[in-house]
Amino acid sequence: MATTNAKITLSSDITDDSLSVNNESLLYTAGTTTGANTMTSVTKVLASTNHVDLITTGSVSTTHGYVYINNPDTDSTRYFRVSIGNAVGSGTYDDGTLPTEEIGILYGGDWMFMPWDVDDDICVKPSDGNDMTVEYMVFS
Amino acid sequence: MATTATITLESLDIAGDPVNVSKTTTCTKAGTTTDLDQTTGLNRVHLRSTTNKVLLAANAEGNDLSAKVYIINKATDPTLYCTITINAQTVGKLYAGDWMFIPWSQTDTSASIEIAATNWTASTGDIPVEYALFHEDTDFLTNA
Repeated sequence: MATTNAKITLSSDITDDSLSVNNESLLYTAGTTTGANTMTSVTKVLASTNHVDLITTGSVSTTHGYVYINNPDTDSTRYFRVSIGNAVGSGTYDDGTLPTEEIGILYGGDWMFMPWDVDDDICVKPSDGNDMTVEYMVFS
Repeated sequence: MATTATITLESLDIAGDPVNVSKTTTCTKAGTTTDLDQTTGLNRVHLRSTTNKVLLAANAEGNDLSAKVYIINKATDPTLYCTITINAQTVGKLYAGDWMFIPWSQTDTSASIEIAATNWTASTGDIPVEYALFHEDTDFLTNA
């Protein structure tokens, strides 16, 4: 059993009284206190604006995992749309019949971390057809 | 008026060599370097519904604007989880102590973030959940 810690430090001075959140969790297999023991760490360079699978359900053998995705770009205008579902490739992405649900947009410098049910693929759509690098890790 | 989020992922034994990833992002408005300037602040709710309830209601005005969502399951029983859903698409399960930090597109008004205490029973006790939203749109309501 491996021990993996995921810690977040969140601070904000938007409000008059500042917000400070610190939490650390151990990454366990579903509903247990047994540590996740599998990790995938990948860096990809995408050279088109196609909507593509980033992390497929077939790459994970459990039904619960944790996903970290990072857009290391230094240009805040270059982003990835991150979604769950089936990739449409070069097809129309936003025609109202998209077989995927967009979670959010990772702008240059942004990261995200979330649990994953491994029911559907995690897909990305780069904003720019010139090389864009995306990094991800999966713990399960 | 900055909001920063730092993640640290550490493990000494999940691989042959130690893993230590640390990344800080400053939360900014869409495609800019201008800081986000609105937040719900930190909220706490106690869940006892096994069906989906709206945690954060999507606002079409927020489509393609920047929003970041933090959610944590503060239960201590490791079997207790809450299921996070966006527009009927399950994202994942937050077990006790688990947290998530995601961008949120609000592609339309159906893209609300919903939550269910899926395996709650009268004997398990409520599942406490804390959450915060940082955003840039001008007219946003939550209805947790």
